[in-house]
Amino acid sequence: MNFQFATAFAAASALAFTAAGPAAAQAPFADVGKQAEISILINSSPWFGGFEKAVDLYEKQTGNKVKLDVTPYGGMLEKARNAVRAANSPYDILNLDALWTIEFYEGSFLKPFAEIDQNFALPAEVLTFEDSNYWNAQRRWRTRDGGQLMGYSPNGNIHVLYYRDDLLKQAGLQPPKTWDDVGAICQKLKNPPGMYGFVTRGEKGNPIRYDWTPFLQGAGGSIVKAPQDGDYTVTINSPQAKQALDKFIELQKNCAPPNVGVIGQGDVIQLLATGRAAQGLAVIAAWPTFDDRQKSAVVGKINTAVVPGFPGRNPGVAIGNWVFTVPKNVSAERQRAAVAFSRWFLTAGAQRAYAEAGGIPVRSDTFASDLAAKPEFRWMKAYLDSQQFARQELGYAEGAQVEAVLGLRLNQALIGEMSSGRALNTAAREIEEIFQRSGRRTGKLDALPE
Amino acid sequence: MKDDFLNRTFRHWSMWPCLAFLLVLSVYPVLQLIPMALSTIQITAEGTFWTYSPRRNLDLLLGDAVLRDAVVNTLVFVVLSVAIEMVLGFFAALFIACMPRGRNFARTVMILPILLPAVAIGSMWKLMFNYDFGLFNQMVGLIGLNPINWLGDTRWALLSIVIVDVWHWTPFVFLILFASIETLPQDVLEAGRVDGATAWQMISLIILPLLGPALAVAALFRAIVAFKAFDQVYLLTSGGPGTSTELLSLHLNRVFFEQNQLGYGAMLSLSIIGVIVATLAVGKWSATQIERKRTGR
Repeated sequence: MNFQFATAFAAASALAFTAAGPAAAQAPFADVGKQAEISILINSSPWFGGFEKAVDLYEKQTGNKVKLDVTPYGGMLEKARNAVRAANSPYDILNLDALWTIEFYEGSFLKPFAEIDQNFALPAEVLTFEDSNYWNAQRRWRTRDGGQLMGYSPNGNIHVLYYRDDLLKQAGLQPPKTWDDVGAICQKLKNPPGMYGFVTRGEKGNPIRYDWTPFLQGAGGSIVKAPQDGDYTVTINSPQAKQALDKFIELQKNCAPPNVGVIGQGDVIQLLATGRAAQGLAVIAAWPTFDDRQKSAVVGKINTAVVPGFPGRNPGVAIGNWVFTVPKNVSAERQRAAVAFSRWFLTAGAQRAYAEAGGIPVRSDTFASDLAAKPEFRWMKAYLDSQQFARQELGYAEGAQVEAVLGLRLNQALIGEMSSGRALNTAAREIEEIFQRSGRRTGKLDALPE
Repeated sequence: MKDDFLNRTFRHWSMWPCLAFLLVLSVYPVLQLIPMALSTIQITAEGTFWTYSPRRNLDLLLGDAVLRDAVVNTLVFVVLSVAIEMVLGFFAALFIACMPRGRNFARTVMILPILLPAVAIGSMWKLMFNYDFGLFNQMVGLIGLNPINWLGDTRWALLSIVIVDVWHWTPFVFLILFASIETLPQDVLEAGRVDGATAWQMISLIILPLLGPALAVAALFRAIVAFKAFDQVYLLTSGGPGTSTELLSLHLNRVFFEQNQLGYGAMLSLSIIGVIVATLAVGKWSATQIERKRTGR
């Protein structure tokens, strides 16, 4: 991924420098001609407003029609499953959480883009988020190496650290680079219940698993040894993972509200937007809220930084992207229309318009353009800097079961029902059983002291 | 004679559409669960592939540590919430039925919580339970106590969702009992008053026995709905912290839909249905025995 990212980034940067900002801004939109009406299943996330405006622009420019079925996150998976399992899908583009894509790729429910339009190729500037949009059926792994292009991301969610720029400046503090810095800033600025030092999600399930992952990756830990090579030895009970969990718990206990065990994404965004948290770890999709005068008490006061790390190590940045895919069970005409929309959406002009409307673009040259210098896009640098560290987790068929195990055991460690060692040992045992049942080559590390 | 025959024939045949609906919508899906429960199922674009593996699903069921917590939590939740709702619903119905004026207004206000969608209730109560600025902790602060971590503390979380359920569903019990109280035979009540019965004697010896069938219906309906509680708990705690509010419905949703384990999900569903049917059968048998002893028949 690093190499692919570096290549894309270099190409984008070269383009940005030679074309000099404003010229890049005038990059043309794709001419896709007259196409059939398409329907998109999309989630009602904070970035949806930007996407909706981009779609409006597409309709105005091309005269083609796009129908959006906007659904809460909780209902997306079932709608997508029902769509691909039916005789004819009601949707021509399905937006899938990257975690769900394995089920759809392995089930052969989706049409590879090359089979719809052999001339379609992702622009080199488009971020692929560790190839989550490619599928190699032989290796059962998401990789462009021998894999087919199954889609692209309309949103590349990754974590960034949000912090109160004004408060840090007043206190003469620098933005944090390590988790120890986060703890030190928290100690200086916290004044509960009016001001908490640091917030992130601790809610059972996906929330805590996802928000703990940057700690795990940053400490050099992993869930499984080398799944890309078929080695499913469970490594979640390593000393590195314990260091990550202990630090996560320490920060939560010392800096977050007392109800850490049930804090969800809405709570994190609310605490930051109401000016009651000095720092917070959240996905980039949360950004549009903080500069929205209707929703935020801290307009212009929040800034972003790359997720902090452990001393001497690279930061860990967990990818939680979405993937736009085309189901097999729609007519060829509508599949072509879906790809035509995709061709338009991924052009530099559309991505710029998408960003200006509050979306999170996925082209590296949009981030390297003149937009990044504008105050309202001050998040772009941290986002782009983070990409080189961004990693996918749970890219295997058992991902949802592994997440359920981790989501519970981490939560129990956070609320004090288990020690961190016991929680990780328990999780390792349960995850190993999952891989044994599915016939993977597996094993686990020696137990940690409990 | 001819009319009797027609009536009997009509009664006989008019049952069939109802029975057909029952078979198609209830019995058939349950029967379908049986082969699912014995298999591992993989759904692909090429078709659905079933692998016969009953032992695997049974092992999963027996080794499911979260399931044990979910069973205990569900039983505690059902017993506690239904018991409180029955007591509050009964006294609310009695109180409002005795109001000389404004009964219609009071009844309308009472039933408002039933009309609200679960999503609105979840959001509203999440705010009220908020540790920092929630209504409850403001009230607790007024009487000089420390704030309570309603949803984030394993000791309080289940009680918190019971409180929400009681608020939501007590009006349902109230509605059934209020309608029954309104139709109580006035001569029996009058006779009780003339005989000098105290208020407590009126309630325990006359009203409660007369309301027996209505109380049983309310309790049964509430127990069934409480057993299936999902949306509010999902919105308030997602079954956490830890497993403190994990109910069977949430666990089943996780296994079936989030983890896509269709075979194990079916095994879990069948086991739950089996336990419910067995409980109902034992309950029915016990009730029959008690009735026989009481009547001597």
